[in-house]
Amino acid sequence: MAYEAVTPVTGRSAENRYTTRKMAALPLAASAGEALVLGLTTGPVCLASCGPVVLPWMLVQPKGIGPHSRQLLLFLAARLAGYMVFAAAAWLVGAAIPRAWSGRSWAYGGIELLLAIALLVYAAGWPRPRRALSEPSPRLVRIGEAPRPRPSGAVALGFLTGINLCPPFLVAGVRAAQLAHLSGALFFFLCFFAGTAIWFLPFLSLGFLQRTPAVVTVARMVAVLLACWYGFSGASLLIERIING
Amino acid sequence: MASPSSAPARPPAFRSIGRSILLTLPIALWSLLMFTPSFRSGGRALSIGAVLVIVFMTSLFFLMMRTGETYRWRRIFFVALGFLFPVGFIASLIAERGTMSIPISRMVSGDTPFCFMVTPALILPAAFARTIVFPGSILPTASNPHSIAVMIGLWFAFTLVLGKAWCSYACFFGGMDEGFAAFGKRRRLHRFVTKYGSILRLIPWAILLCVVLLSAALFEPFYCMWLCPFKTVTEFPAVRDLETALQFGVFVTLFVGLVVVLPYLTKKRTQCGFFCPFGAFQSLFNKINLFDIRFDREKCFDCGLCQTSCPTVALSKESVREGKTLLNCMKCGACVDACKKDAAVWHLKGTPVAVKPERARLLFLYGAWALATMFGGSILANSIATMVHWLPLK
Repeated sequence: MAYEAVTPVTGRSAENRYTTRKMAALPLAASAGEALVLGLTTGPVCLASCGPVVLPWMLVQPKGIGPHSRQLLLFLAARLAGYMVFAAAAWLVGAAIPRAWSGRSWAYGGIELLLAIALLVYAAGWPRPRRALSEPSPRLVRIGEAPRPRPSGAVALGFLTGINLCPPFLVAGVRAAQLAHLSGALFFFLCFFAGTAIWFLPFLSLGFLQRTPAVVTVARMVAVLLACWYGFSGASLLIERIING
Repeated sequence: MASPSSAPARPPAFRSIGRSILLTLPIALWSLLMFTPSFRSGGRALSIGAVLVIVFMTSLFFLMMRTGETYRWRRIFFVALGFLFPVGFIASLIAERGTMSIPISRMVSGDTPFCFMVTPALILPAAFARTIVFPGSILPTASNPHSIAVMIGLWFAFTLVLGKAWCSYACFFGGMDEGFAAFGKRRRLHRFVTKYGSILRLIPWAILLCVVLLSAALFEPFYCMWLCPFKTVTEFPAVRDLETALQFGVFVTLFVGLVVVLPYLTKKRTQCGFFCPFGAFQSLFNKINLFDIRFDREKCFDCGLCQTSCPTVALSKESVREGKTLLNCMKCGACVDACKKDAAVWHLKGTPVAVKPERARLLFLYGAWALATMFGGSILANSIATMVHWLPLK
């Protein structure tokens, strides 16, 4: 059934918006199928885009399929929340968001800077928390124990990767913005998320990897190096934006 | 820790001249076979280069057989390769394009010569997107004979047999930091390297993971674009804006720091041992190749000479006590030559340790030197030919 009403959200041409939405109004199942296929086919790109964040985070977790499953579930849930926020924003602003939104560079740069900070804090464990002089060193207290996972790390990293504007995400954003209802856009992104999330399941296999101190040290080094890259990339985007106005 | 000074050193003449010549014959024949095309189709300069390389490689192998030392003679070849490679390469770039920088048009047309350093970064994009993230051609072309398939095929064949020995016998970059490490005798940062060696040797693994992940995420060879110190002396993206200028700055900084200054100060191959992601990737093949270095615990008296002599910190006290090297051993032979008790030995996997170690050394060296002659030798011959062109010879 076609959608007849026009939602006066943006100040742009209501006729175009109405036409686009009328043409794009799809039955629910077809929309779900399209989103799922889009997620499945572009999943490798999502994986490549989020891999630099997920891998070091998962490698610093204690060994075992249990802790890894919990962390991955938290990460994916937060990522889904990010998707929903973006879907709502895309639908409200309209299909023009990816190509005409003037704040795109700010968003890209800001998200990358936040990712850099989150990687440093959660995956690399830097800066180390201060302790009182009388308090014994955590190393002495927990000798031989793996570091305790912090759920907030998975949530922060998942949400930030969820709103990071990778190419498949933008494609899905354009499609969601053309849909008639906000609920339709959210559902579209939910299905898109389901398609991409399957590609993240191999990260569970990292739980079986032997956790030697060397593996954890390498993972922390990776987190620091990637934080440097994201920091540099985000800062250069923001500087470019400031210079060019 | 016992003093090594009381141990008898290996005698200067290890083998008779006749026997050494006999053992060198296969390498001499291999060299001739490798460079026959240069005599047929190459000009006078290339023929001169080929003759010099045949003599050079055969003489070094003869000296290895005669003295029983590996590292000393290998290093002469390796440093020569490291310093002469840029001579021939830059000369060919200047002759062909008039500049060391790669124009965008060359990248688009896929004419960039393939460098094996980028190999690990190709795996994920090739697996998931069936795309090679390198501006080269997969099969050889008239303008670009150093294609991706040829280089990866060569590398893989030799790596399966020799493991990380590629980094000591074939890499045309490693000789540079080994050369700068050979200058002077004083180890200024020795204590630092000893203290933090266990952390330093993990850095290449971290860089490898970063390079692989970011190459897949950005869909470009991240190491070539941002981290390769040797871009300074080979070719680099043309500087046309702030980003490419920044890239060039990173290349120069890394080259000066890791290839010139730190090797000189530490007497270690700092770029190879503490930075190179390809070296870390290559370490994985040490698990499956045929040869390794082992320690005869009955002879070893923990003098620590092997650890001090190792140019890439591939030995720790614990590993020596277990009779093994660490995974990042490049099989350069420095520890075997340094050991005054002959406790460090070449070993063919699957055979008893320290039983006929010279046989294992010979088998290894035939493979490694054949690779060195074929791969490094042809680079040396080309570079010598370039210099002959420059010289005012009539």
